[in-house]
Amino acid sequence: MPGASRDGTIDGAEEDPPHTLLPFLQSQSQNTLTRLYQRPSACLSMFRLLPPLDRQLVMNLLWLESAVPAGTMGAWVTRQGRKLYDEALLNLSRLHILPNPSVKLSLNGMFKTSLRQAVTGGGNNGSFGTAALKDDKHPPVSIEVLDTYAVERWETILHYMVSSGTGQLPTKPSPGVLFLLQRSGLMSTVHGSALQITSAGFQFLLHSPHDQLWQLLLQYLHMAEEREMDLVEILSFLFMLSTMELGKEYSIESLSVTQKAMLEDLRDYGLIWQRRTQSRRFSPTRLATTLTSLLPPLPTATSSGAGSQDQGFIVLETNYRLYAYTDNPLQTAVLNLFVSLKYRFPNLVVGSITRESVRKALANGITADQIISYLSTHAHPQMRKNKPLIPVTVQDQVRLWELERNRLKSEEGYLYTAFASQADYEYVLNYAKQLNVVLWENPAKRCFFGNLEGHGNIRGFIERRTGGQA
Amino acid sequence: MDQPSHISVILDLSPSQWHLSSLPQNPYPLSLKSFLAQVLAFLNLHIASKHENTLAIFGAFPGKSVMLYSSTDPASDSSDSGSPNIYRPFEIVDSRVVTRIEEELESIDDSQEEAPIGLVGALTKALCYINRIKHPTPSTQSNGTTVEDPATLPDPRILILSVSPDLSTSYIPIMNSIFSAQKLKIIIDVCKIYGPDTVFLEQAAHLTGGSYVYLERRDALLQHLVMSHLPSPALRKLMAVPTQDKIDFRAACFCHKNIVDVGFVCSVCLSIFCRPVAVCTTCRTKFPMSTLRRLDAYLPRAAKQANGTAKTSAPPTPTATGLPSTPR
Repeated sequence: MPGASRDGTIDGAEEDPPHTLLPFLQSQSQNTLTRLYQRPSACLSMFRLLPPLDRQLVMNLLWLESAVPAGTMGAWVTRQGRKLYDEALLNLSRLHILPNPSVKLSLNGMFKTSLRQAVTGGGNNGSFGTAALKDDKHPPVSIEVLDTYAVERWETILHYMVSSGTGQLPTKPSPGVLFLLQRSGLMSTVHGSALQITSAGFQFLLHSPHDQLWQLLLQYLHMAEEREMDLVEILSFLFMLSTMELGKEYSIESLSVTQKAMLEDLRDYGLIWQRRTQSRRFSPTRLATTLTSLLPPLPTATSSGAGSQDQGFIVLETNYRLYAYTDNPLQTAVLNLFVSLKYRFPNLVVGSITRESVRKALANGITADQIISYLSTHAHPQMRKNKPLIPVTVQDQVRLWELERNRLKSEEGYLYTAFASQADYEYVLNYAKQLNVVLWENPAKRCFFGNLEGHGNIRGFIERRTGGQA
Repeated sequence: MDQPSHISVILDLSPSQWHLSSLPQNPYPLSLKSFLAQVLAFLNLHIASKHENTLAIFGAFPGKSVMLYSSTDPASDSSDSGSPNIYRPFEIVDSRVVTRIEEELESIDDSQEEAPIGLVGALTKALCYINRIKHPTPSTQSNGTTVEDPATLPDPRILILSVSPDLSTSYIPIMNSIFSAQKLKIIIDVCKIYGPDTVFLEQAAHLTGGSYVYLERRDALLQHLVMSHLPSPALRKLMAVPTQDKIDFRAACFCHKNIVDVGFVCSVCLSIFCRPVAVCTTCRTKFPMSTLRRLDAYLPRAAKQANGTAKTSAPPTPTATGLPSTPR
């Protein structure tokens, strides 16, 4: 996978993993990217997705007319930053923002022009969306309405996923969403029955909304490639949405045919709001306008009407008891994945983390680290005073329960038995030990077990020995 | 590393200095208009870098200082629909800053034009503003609207774009600002765009760990701003920014506000004087006559003649020179 090299942590300096979209963009052809760079809004959004050092490099080069020799720019880099700098150059060249970084540094002409236009506000390609004219009959919807709408849409999807196996029948999302969930491997049908959540789906549920959203959108992009929709149109529409202002209405007049077709899908995901399906205008929701901010801008986190979701809601004690201050059925359902719930009150759910409940989650493909990270991201403000945040006993126990499942390890290999004499046995065993291929030995029974790689050598060794004696 | 950052920008908007700066006999004339265009592009880049980045802009005018813009302002009465060609936040910043500067410059009449520049006022306001956003008041927390305020800033910065020369009267307030900036862990960057180097701002940048840039190629203002003042402190560890290697550490005396090479420091409160005094004007400590006589002997002749009004020349002396240490 391109971009995988950036995953490693650099000594001391903590590095956030690159944005999920970047590897996808890096895999695109130069032609596609250059067409994408024609739009200032796309350049601006892409610029935001880049890691900080990459951004600074782009800015350093943005206002230069001529190319800079690679050495000149390199002279600014401290010894500590050398490795990150090289990676940044590589990353930018993969995105075709910086062609030939080894010789001279100069931004892709199209990217440079567009980003300059974005920053100074020149040009007239309308890539930031045409605002709709004032409509006296219908004033623009309030931000609260948009937030509730977005949360409602999004939670419908998640709730459908989480309760798919339990026999309850929650509201079904639209067919488009269902298809996407199935395509992305988050849900699947078994023997033609109803959709069932997969282990990837369980893991998906524990991610932050921002990650979930991008994961789905990435699938949408992959799907679009197969449907032979124009990727550039889709990406630039998503980027345009991310630069739009919350609580404003935009006209669909300036959109292309592909983009108009996307409206329906995005409405289902809760990214945009329309008064009627045939409406000539649309409003982006918070899900859409926070697409390019890297910090977790939970669409629910800032809405005032959502009550307990505003902040963390989980209190976990050292005795494995868990109190969740929530009345949200989705959050309760997600907790139910790995907590055995005991009591339910109007604003509080009480349960405890038990061996059975965790093993159930592990069997569903959820890992211990995911459970712990979910608990720590949703910890109640009261709990944040504790250090460490999650009681160590609970953390360790959850990890131990995970290890329990891995008591048996299977390994392929060969069993060597029926040695003629103890000396023979020890001679061969010694050879095998030197090769470091012995997995198990039993001198009493004169047999040992070696792994697959060593077999050829050992066999040759025995044959040579017996051949020599014969 | 990739955290939101905040910049408070202080624009020195002295009409007379900008007039001098735009005269064509300068090697690189720079008018206020093209200066603003470049600064706005710089500000836009700062907002562009990250959705959560915040910004405050202060203007120093003759005799007063004004806050021109801050991103925590309540959203404007945005009844205008906005242009489809520009990112909306850029449009808001640009138009707000330009109209506010125009208003303020219009309101200055001739009598005020020569008043000393309100740089210290702007600096103090910027510090107060950063202090406020760093420590949200309990009242905003209790009403539940700002729970996890995105403005919990790890690295607030102040950038001073200066054109006016040093005002020696403002030595003490600037020093006090520097100390509060150190306490708040604020970096002060300085870009000197026109006029001679200013001693006090050099010290401000040095003491707070910021960078001081004296702009020689003034046609490359934007490039300088982007390369040396835009990177966040975390990024500066990876990509160096220019710093001053020679810093003028001279201080101004408390009695005549002159910048002195050799000063006399009160042993009790560390006040600096350009000549020995019998009683410290700050802490009222009386010094014995014998010490005074001994010190008078060290006083350079030129200073004796000028009676403390002219700058002293610098023969070696036993008394302290330069920077006062942090007040205890």
